[in-house]
Amino acid sequence: MTETVVECQPGFILHHRRYRETSLILEVFTRDYGIISILAKGVRKAKSRTAGLLLPFKALSVSYCGKAELKTLTQVEAQPIHTDLTGLALYCGFYVNELIGRFCHKHDPHPEVYADYRDCLMQLTRVMRETENPAGFTPLLQVEAVLRLFELNLMQHIGLALLTEYDAHTEAPINTDAQYFFQAERGVIEHVAGTVSGKTIQAINDKVFTDTQALSEAKYIMRNVINFHLQGKPLKTRAILAKIYQQL
Amino acid sequence: MLNKGLLGQLIQTLCCLPGVGPKSAQRMAFYLLQRDRQGAQRLSNTLLTALEKIQHCQHCRTLTELTVCEICASSSRDQSLLCVVETPSDAWVVEQAAFFKGVYFILHGRLSPLDGIGPDELGLDLLEQRFATGSIKEIILATNSTVEGEATAYYISHLAKKYQLQASRIAQGVPIGGELEFIDSGTLSQAFMGRKNLD
Ligand SMILES: [Zn+2]
Repeated sequence: MTETVVECQPGFILHHRRYRETSLILEVFTRDYGIISILAKGVRKAKSRTAGLLLPFKALSVSYCGKAELKTLTQVEAQPIHTDLTGLALYCGFYVNELIGRFCHKHDPHPEVYADYRDCLMQLTRVMRETENPAGFTPLLQVEAVLRLFELNLMQHIGLALLTEYDAHTEAPINTDAQYFFQAERGVIEHVAGTVSGKTIQAINDKVFTDTQALSEAKYIMRNVINFHLQGKPLKTRAILAKIYQQL
Repeated sequence: MLNKGLLGQLIQTLCCLPGVGPKSAQRMAFYLLQRDRQGAQRLSNTLLTALEKIQHCQHCRTLTELTVCEICASSSRDQSLLCVVETPSDAWVVEQAAFFKGVYFILHGRLSPLDGIGPDELGLDLLEQRFATGSIKEIILATNSTVEGEATAYYISHLAKKYQLQASRIAQGVPIGGELEFIDSGTLSQAFMGRKNLD
């Protein structure tokens, strides 16, 4: 492999683990190069100037180099983008990071996903600060709406868009007064006993969630879709978040 | 040839210590065998006994050879003030500073959903059981200032609220003697958010 030198690349740390006594191995989601493993040497020392920067959910500008799969961090700076996940939003951040890790492969650039991810973190930051909101949603529901939007966009950008534009049987447009069955591999089929309302399908297509029913049905659909594509390897964060939510 | 046999095995085994590479392991092995065989004997005996006897304190889960550690059993400590830390070494650091008069609870980790570590894996039900006994009035969350540490503190503060306990998070920011010029922006923004009135 030839030497790679990348300067000032926008990126977010998805996950980090300790390496030896004083170092960290970072999984960084970069804008133009996808997910890259980067070794940050000596940053866990008492007087490290970068330890406070190398945290997930912070917009960074990273420089790195190296020939091998594991690159070496040469410089890092904060970008002037305000993302500060607290409380509920922080837990959702872990979930979103796992989604990225599972659906975007290493070295596979996804600038659109990167932009959506950044927006998602900014929205999650805002949601926890606002006391009022137009739809009258609680912070938990607002957070859910942000997550659904992110999931929908993610699926679309990586070529796994939902089949919800038309009825899979009749190819008729979505009827907002009807009920539908949803299957990840086939799409939506109108049926009187369907578990999802036409309104929700329309909300998914429009990517606008304004009521609690649409949100909870959309959650069911997205869970279905994600599980289908993960082929039996469940997300680690989901079970834990469910457990955490029970307490909050 | 040298790295075969018992000597080689000893050197290799010493490498399991943090910060010890093959070079220092080699030095240690030769030192123990040549210069201080008595010391080596003591080390090996103590290590064996420690391994055999040291367990987790039933109350705080710190490392101790007692069923309930000295701090938890002490009548001079405030048993209603609980400091929650991630590791026994964190408790040790707080203890060395000698200003804290309460008791500890060791998590032995932190919530890390991406690694599959949730409240159950951390044994937080044990902490909740202690909250439920009503003996604790206040908790101080001294988990690390990482996202996992924050996630852990937030969760435990909610548990505490359920039992009407007062919960606080240790402050983060500019270290004593620290100059702003040398502080990273993350720490600095924490310091601004955690500012205090000067009246
Ligand atoms: Zn104890």
